[in-house]
Amino acid sequence: MLEATNELGNVALQAGGTLTDPSAAAALAVGLAALGAGYAERGIGSAAVGAMAEDDDLFVNGLILTVLPETIVILALVVVFIV
Amino acid sequence: MSAVGSSNPEYVVARVRARRGSLYGDEEYRKLTRMGPAEIARFMEESSYADEINALGSRHGGVDLIEYALNRNLASQFDAILDWSEGSLYGLIARYLRKFDAWNVKTVIRGVYTDADQSAVESDLIRAGEFDDRRIRRLLEADSIDAVVEVLEDTIYGDPLQAAYAEYEETGVLVPLENAVDRAFYERLLSGLGGGEPTRQYEAFLKAEVDFRNATNALRLARSGADIDPAAYFIEGGELFTRGSLARLARNLDELVEYIADSQYGDELGPALRELEEADSLIAFEHATDAALLAYGDRLGTIHPVSITPIISYILAKEREVENIRAIARGKEAGLSADEIESELVIT
Repeated sequence: MLEATNELGNVALQAGGTLTDPSAAAALAVGLAALGAGYAERGIGSAAVGAMAEDDDLFVNGLILTVLPETIVILALVVVFIV
Repeated sequence: MSAVGSSNPEYVVARVRARRGSLYGDEEYRKLTRMGPAEIARFMEESSYADEINALGSRHGGVDLIEYALNRNLASQFDAILDWSEGSLYGLIARYLRKFDAWNVKTVIRGVYTDADQSAVESDLIRAGEFDDRRIRRLLEADSIDAVVEVLEDTIYGDPLQAAYAEYEETGVLVPLENAVDRAFYERLLSGLGGGEPTRQYEAFLKAEVDFRNATNALRLARSGADIDPAAYFIEGGELFTRGSLARLARNLDELVEYIADSQYGDELGPALRELEEADSLIAFEHATDAALLAYGDRLGTIHPVSITPIISYILAKEREVENIRAIARGKEAGLSADEIESELVIT
């Protein structure tokens, strides 16, 4: 399975595929970062809603903690300006 | 709400942790032990038990009010936890909460047996398990043990009860029926636990509970000297005993105490076991097993923060709180002093 993936990468690179194009790679990087942030926010968000359901005062804390992983996407966005 | 879909421990753990903060601590218990039943009810009205005290306050009074409010609060809290959980999390929690179903079945059977008033039986039920209101209504309306068995036909208690019913008809005592219910519960408790490391720890906790239950039963039998086969009361699934070893050890109290002291629970139960040897008092041992389980539960809640374990830890702490308040209220009613009541409480 691993070798097959390796070969697939080689083929993509040799054919001058889209991945060697810097802006496409940057787009992929931002996309993956956003995916990771989304997954992290899933857990934090549901915990925050649970905490808020018990105590309304936790709304602000919950909101801040929920959007913290968003910083990863912002950092990844730097890549777009570098390439 | 249901056993389908993926589990959502984040949500349930967040809610449960918030509720854990509102459980009574040392300070509250110290205050409660110095109050009379009416004051305890007033104190509860100002905490998380407000709804239940208000709802029941017009119908009951004194220690009964406290007792019913505690039961109803326990039921609503645990029902809510089951309501929030989804997927495999639901299965893991329901597994433990089924013990209230077992309790309810036994209460109903005893009620039918003693011809108790339907409303009296109803107020003793704790609706925290998996049975829905319709099944509980049908259970309450059953006017013979035969009818109770029929209502439970399609549940996990169906077949064992059916088998035990024949024995009940012969002997006329409830013991076989109650044993059948308990055994059905414990069999389900440990079968088919899947999952990863947090589930393993949950399993270890459940096994410890089964071990302690077996040990307590064996000690009681050994002390009473009654001619009962201990193997008949053996609960499968624990690690400490096998059916054979329990039957052998229950005949000799000293050997049994030594066996428990040498086991992996020896450190936690050591002082209680020494007391058992000296004062011949089982109460200390039962308290020690309760405290050991509670301490284990507290530890459980911190190792894997987002998993089943903090939820179970809360369920245990809540159960313990309800039992402590009940002990205080009953102790006050019986006229015990504050110090005596405090020695009855299990606080970590």
